[in-house]
Amino acid sequence: MSEQITAVDQIANPPKGELLLDAAGVSKVFGGLVAVNDVNFIVPRKAIVSLIGPNGAGKTTFFNCLTGLYRPTTGRVTFDGQDITAKRPDLVTQAGIARTFQNIKLFRTMTATENVQVGMHPRLRSRVTGMILRTPFVRREEREGREKARELLDFVGLKRKDELAMNLPYGDQRRLEIARALASEPRLLLLDEPTAGMNAQESEELRQLMERLRTEQDVSILLIEHDMKVIMNVSDHITVLDHGEKIAEGTPQEVRQNPRVIEAYLGSQA
Amino acid sequence: MEAASIAETASAPPPARKVGDVLNAYALPLLLFGALVAQFIYEPTGTLENVKTGLSNGMVWALIALGYTLVYGIVELINFAHGEVFMIGAFVSTSLMQTFGVTDQTSLAVIIVVIILFLALAMTASATLNVLIERAAYRPLRNAPKLAPLITAIGMSFILQNVGLLWRPTPDQVPDLIGSHDVYFTIFKVDVLHSDVFAVIVTVPLLIALLWFVGNTRYGKAMRATAQDPDAARLMGIDVDRTISLTFLLGGTMAGAAGLIYALYNLTVRFNMGFTAGLIAFTAAVMGGIGNLKGAVIGGLIIGVIQAVSDGGNFLGLQLGEAWTPAVVFGILILVMVFRPQGLFGEETREG
Amino acid sequence: MTGSVAALRDTGSSIGGWLPRWAWMIIALIAAILFPYIAGSGDFLDASIQTLAYVIMALGLNIVVGFAGLLDLGYVAFYAIGAFVIGWFGSQQFPDVNGGKGIHILVSDRSTFQPKLSGGKLDIAGIHINFFFVLFIAMAITALWGVLLGAPTLRLRGDYLAIVTLAFGEIVPRIFENSTSGLFGIGSTDFSHGRQGITPIDTINLPWSHDILYTDANLRPAYWVALGMVVFTIFVNRRLRDSRLGRAWIAVREDEVAAASMGVNLVRTKLWAYAMGAAFGGFAGVFLGSYNNTVNVDQFEFGFSVFILAMVIVGGMGNIWGVIVGAIALSMMNRYGLPQLNNLSEPLGFDVTAISFGIFGFFLLIMMVLRPEGLIPSGRRRLELHEAEIDGDIEDARPVGDMSQMYEVRQ
Repeated sequence: MSEQITAVDQIANPPKGELLLDAAGVSKVFGGLVAVNDVNFIVPRKAIVSLIGPNGAGKTTFFNCLTGLYRPTTGRVTFDGQDITAKRPDLVTQAGIARTFQNIKLFRTMTATENVQVGMHPRLRSRVTGMILRTPFVRREEREGREKARELLDFVGLKRKDELAMNLPYGDQRRLEIARALASEPRLLLLDEPTAGMNAQESEELRQLMERLRTEQDVSILLIEHDMKVIMNVSDHITVLDHGEKIAEGTPQEVRQNPRVIEAYLGSQA
Repeated sequence: MEAASIAETASAPPPARKVGDVLNAYALPLLLFGALVAQFIYEPTGTLENVKTGLSNGMVWALIALGYTLVYGIVELINFAHGEVFMIGAFVSTSLMQTFGVTDQTSLAVIIVVIILFLALAMTASATLNVLIERAAYRPLRNAPKLAPLITAIGMSFILQNVGLLWRPTPDQVPDLIGSHDVYFTIFKVDVLHSDVFAVIVTVPLLIALLWFVGNTRYGKAMRATAQDPDAARLMGIDVDRTISLTFLLGGTMAGAAGLIYALYNLTVRFNMGFTAGLIAFTAAVMGGIGNLKGAVIGGLIIGVIQAVSDGGNFLGLQLGEAWTPAVVFGILILVMVFRPQGLFGEETREG
Repeated sequence: MTGSVAALRDTGSSIGGWLPRWAWMIIALIAAILFPYIAGSGDFLDASIQTLAYVIMALGLNIVVGFAGLLDLGYVAFYAIGAFVIGWFGSQQFPDVNGGKGIHILVSDRSTFQPKLSGGKLDIAGIHINFFFVLFIAMAITALWGVLLGAPTLRLRGDYLAIVTLAFGEIVPRIFENSTSGLFGIGSTDFSHGRQGITPIDTINLPWSHDILYTDANLRPAYWVALGMVVFTIFVNRRLRDSRLGRAWIAVREDEVAAASMGVNLVRTKLWAYAMGAAFGGFAGVFLGSYNNTVNVDQFEFGFSVFILAMVIVGGMGNIWGVIVGAIALSMMNRYGLPQLNNLSEPLGFDVTAISFGIFGFFLLIMMVLRPEGLIPSGRRRLELHEAEIDGDIEDARPVGDMSQMYEVRQ
């Protein structure tokens, strides 16, 4: 509990060294459409931060600007002191940011374990000659990698480790996406609507998983979500986007009562 | 929306994008024009000659390229067998001309009538063939991964080439109905031949007719709608299947006309003329901007000139010649697809 | 249903039922080694040897198309490069080298078709390097060209990628063909002897021996060399498939965006696919160049690229063993099937060989329309592609536009 309060304080007045992610003035313009408009955003260490807003508000676009899938039209993204603006997605992942996707993007013909092993790609050091010769180093790395993959699958609660990704039930697929993202040992995890399509119990399990990540693994989480129950319970801090702009931010309590937020979701009072 | 931009970010981001965009837009035409001017300075008469030949040849490429572009615009598939549709058009024309024993001794009026008739027949043959290809090779695989229709199209191309091979195992002579190599007039020391004039006389009305059809009729509108958004078009009551067939029909018609022109122009036809012609015309379509009709025509003309200059043998000192021309054209295809996949007039959208 | 399929995939269990997988592989290997003794006539053995070379190429293309999902219609270019490498380094094509005396590295009088000289010194012009060395030189050169030709295509997808690779497949042989007097008129070396081609090509001799390995009368050693090359190819393929790079390839094939987001360097991964795939093309190309005793641009046509691609598709893209079976099937059908058909149709006055090209085209057509998953799909693959038909169950029907439908599930 005290950790949560500290996180909120940090958001109010964060010392620069405590910031994991610092996005400043990020905009993304597609031709005539301004999808993201001058958004400033920070994520402190050991925090769970949420990004909410009505559909089409630009949340996923903002994510994509952070991870290098889009080149921001303006702005700067700093991660742990390093400038990662417009860097290639694989370099962003290498730096320590991992993500899941709104529409599940698993590698369908690979098993759950193999999917997670792909997630480890930036942390593995095997070289091609070694792979062909199957040197002791490579053999050990593969073995340890497979073990770690299975541990990660246990961590997220996925039992059918050798099942093909496309055959997994929906909830397991979402879990697998998280396990795969965790495989790259990120310090910041971006989750894009992780509870979409989940029932109440599954959502609660996921919420607990996020807490464990924060405390056990020192992973900060940046969350896009629509499930208000989850958001209110798990977030240290919430930012609200609408039409690409930040319209509010604060603690869950503050945001819940903010009239602009209510208006954005429900429409203005007649 | 996500997938498109991976291409953007794959290389190091250049800071001044505005300048880069402008350069990019004009680089290709400037480069081509510059090369032509350089060649003209290097060898004036030869170049004019090549330009003239290139423009006439280019008419043929333009017609074939239109077939590619129409089809790609509407179903986003490269009709691999289109070159063979052209070849069959040429074969049909040649057979007709050979059978009916018309020679250049016959009166002009008769020749004109006969050629118009043969043109119509060749266009019909090619059009029908193209529609059949769509039904057999593309329609069953409309929802399949892109690899599948590509392979079936290659299969159709092979089948048709074999048909051509059986029909004419050796290259065949075409009766010289229009006195192909006779000079019509001379300008700037360049001989304009009957064949050049013929190519223009046949192609230009066809182009105008096609552009009018696509731009001004209900059917053309249906084609454009289906090209933009097939589902929306269907919701508007457009019969998408028939519209696609119509598109293939038009593309085939153009290829058939190209076949007849080519036959009378070159006076020989071969069973594998479609393969090389297809790739050259496809390069034209890509250069113009695939999906863009105007672009296909201009691309055809440009490629025609490039081909003629290369055939000519001496480009700024480099020894080229007919043996090198296919390599040159394919090289240009690669350059365009890598550096400017949207061609001259295409939109800056994702490719392939 | 899923339970039994999952059990099938269990690497510990076997396909045959009572032996583990590796045991079946040993049996297959022994059978393959002993094969020439039952292969009988020289012609059948010759067909088998050619088939082995095609198997290598199919496996090479399988890396590019099957693992990495890059549609390559120009594979013949790498065959050409490999063949010309031995054309250059295993023949008298360059008579002026070393002042007319030639360069000889571990070749013998017999392998270079020379009469035996007293004193053991060779006196033929041209560059002559031992076959086995040329194999690896060619692999390196072809791999390099794989990267060079692949690099411009990295941002292309689908049809566009296919056409560009096709264009490369056309350009490379033409450049060879036209380089009979320098390149673009620069210099004067004859690189290819034009349409006549380079012949004869040195035959195979072991580096420590003067004797040649095989003769027209006794082709068996040639078979074993080819078999050795095939085993090597399979070995490398399996190692790569089950490695970090192999997973990266399949990830790139399945979903580039997701792969990149998981830290996979798309450029490097794709270039490795091109390099490895091309290397095997050159690998087999060297063998065929030597075995056929001639290197001629007529051997390198678009139809060949399609032929190899068909093997990969028929075998089930990505499936190593399927591709091997597909290659054998298509190669044998091409060599024997058509003449057999001809025997049937000849009495009717119908020459089937005149329409062999068309028959191949028809085969491609039928294959894609009826059975796109290939001859040997995994049970899951077949189920996926036809489930909608069988059950009429909309929920189970996967969108067929999904590229992964056609690819083999890793075993």
